[in-house]
Amino acid sequence: MASSRDDFIIAIRSAFLKKSTQQKFSLLSLVFTSIFIIVLSNLDFKAVRYLKIGINELVYRSSFVVSIPENFIKDTFIEVTDYTTFFNDYKKKRLELSKLKSNFVSSEIIQNENRELKELINDYVSTSDKILAKIIVDHESPFLKSIIINKGSKDNIKIGTNIYDQSYLVGRVIEVNFKTSRVLLLSDLNSNVPVTIAPQNIQAIVTGSGDNYGQIKYIKDGLSKEFDEESIIYTSGTGAIFKSGIPIGTLEIIKENSSDEFSVEFYSDFSQLKYVFAEITSTSEIPDQNVSEPDNETNNSINAKLKILEDELEIIEETNSKFLEENIDLKNEINNLNNKLLILNNELSSKNITISQFNIDKTELEFLRLNLEFGHKCRKSNKLFQKSVGFEPGSDEYKKCVLNKGVIIND
Amino acid sequence: MTSLKSKGFFSKFYSWLPIVVLYVSVLNEFDVNYLDLDFFSFNFPFILIFFFTLKDFKNFDYLLVFLAGLINDTVVGLPLGLSSLSFMIICIATSYFRNITIRPNQAKDWFYFLFIIILVNSLNYSILTLFFSYNLILWGYVVNTFFTFLFYLIFLTIFKFYLKGIND
Repeated sequence: MASSRDDFIIAIRSAFLKKSTQQKFSLLSLVFTSIFIIVLSNLDFKAVRYLKIGINELVYRSSFVVSIPENFIKDTFIEVTDYTTFFNDYKKKRLELSKLKSNFVSSEIIQNENRELKELINDYVSTSDKILAKIIVDHESPFLKSIIINKGSKDNIKIGTNIYDQSYLVGRVIEVNFKTSRVLLLSDLNSNVPVTIAPQNIQAIVTGSGDNYGQIKYIKDGLSKEFDEESIIYTSGTGAIFKSGIPIGTLEIIKENSSDEFSVEFYSDFSQLKYVFAEITSTSEIPDQNVSEPDNETNNSINAKLKILEDELEIIEETNSKFLEENIDLKNEINNLNNKLLILNNELSSKNITISQFNIDKTELEFLRLNLEFGHKCRKSNKLFQKSVGFEPGSDEYKKCVLNKGVIIND
Repeated sequence: MTSLKSKGFFSKFYSWLPIVVLYVSVLNEFDVNYLDLDFFSFNFPFILIFFFTLKDFKNFDYLLVFLAGLINDTVVGLPLGLSSLSFMIICIATSYFRNITIRPNQAKDWFYFLFIIILVNSLNYSILTLFFSYNLILWGYVVNTFFTFLFYLIFLTIFKFYLKGIND
């Protein structure tokens, strides 16, 4: 018993401390170093931070170079898949484009209105500048969803900077180095975004699922009944982490046994991102209108307002011309419909005449048939010594008698 | 003379190949995510480190494995030092297993590997959730462990070919 315990201790000691001929460090020292690094990296020392940034820069660049062959294979695979579904995609995109074109005009109007309203409430004006960033590392761990972009503190990227794919939100920056940054994707389990669900105007939180979709959480009981498949989700701006009004995705209702589950289908496909936009924002207070300002500043603000009004006028004119076109189309359609109606009415009246003629003919035919069969019973007899009971042919009584199959009814 | 030199370079490169592959795999984070298979993932560095440290391969330096762990943490975005700790635990386990094994057996190695990766992944999961408040899917870890366990047999065959090539 004691010897087996000794063997175990010897084996363990040997595993931890013994260095073989090639090894320069014992495993125990490396384990302690690992633990030391874990603890140290969580303490926010300036030296450690800079060291981390240096390592990150070096490793991200190396990772980008090493990933080139795999990325090539991956891109080829995606291109082949795209090619096979090309035609269907094209048809779908054409439909989407026509819808988007019609939405564009109203969106411009809303943007202008929004800008004006912000000025009215003496709020701040947020000027933003989107810069293009290339994704240099997108090898997500099976458990964490993040990407590395080639823009860092040098390009004014800060922690929390919003990252877009076109105009869709994809995530936010969580780590900034000098020339690179790490972006936490919306699909990561640790990502939480305050959102508004439209058109129901319900506030909720979208959390990543660790997969390519999001989950909707923290909705008040009963409100979820109002959702439908056409609901869209955009950022609400609550908490000031994300800007308000950035589109995220559409709502999907998954029917479970007793209750419905709600998920978000993101507009953007995170697995196929190559370039993204980082939004560099700077906010400036709008000066109080009552305070007297130098003339040129007043002129500038008036010019800006005039510019807004001109823009608005242009949009309104564009909308008007669109409405006029629609109006002409509708009038043409009404004329066509009236013509059709007239033709149909004529057809109906001619049909009615034919039907009434047919009915008359039918009655006449029936009378003639009965006349042949029962006419002698109704006709007035001219024989001597015989009492005449019939009627003169052609009289109404005669006709009535024939129709009654020869039965004479005295009034 | 030239041929001798080139032969020397190739044989040197061949003997360093496992450590090169380890660095490429941690820098590249090789995955097959674009196949869109739900939950499918496996941990190639675990298989590589387990096999070559168990065989006490001459060029598989613990310090290089430790540095590979640091690179892995940087690429994936885990707290710095966590993967190094995981790799070192695998090294300790294989070293201990080598010391107590008299007659090596493949089946034993395989199940011992399962035990080790369960231990390492559990430790990883616990540290990340308890100390760093990460939200993680436990099911993802279970599937990863399972596939890593299965893929060990496939890579074992490849690595054996490699060792045979070295010995020849």
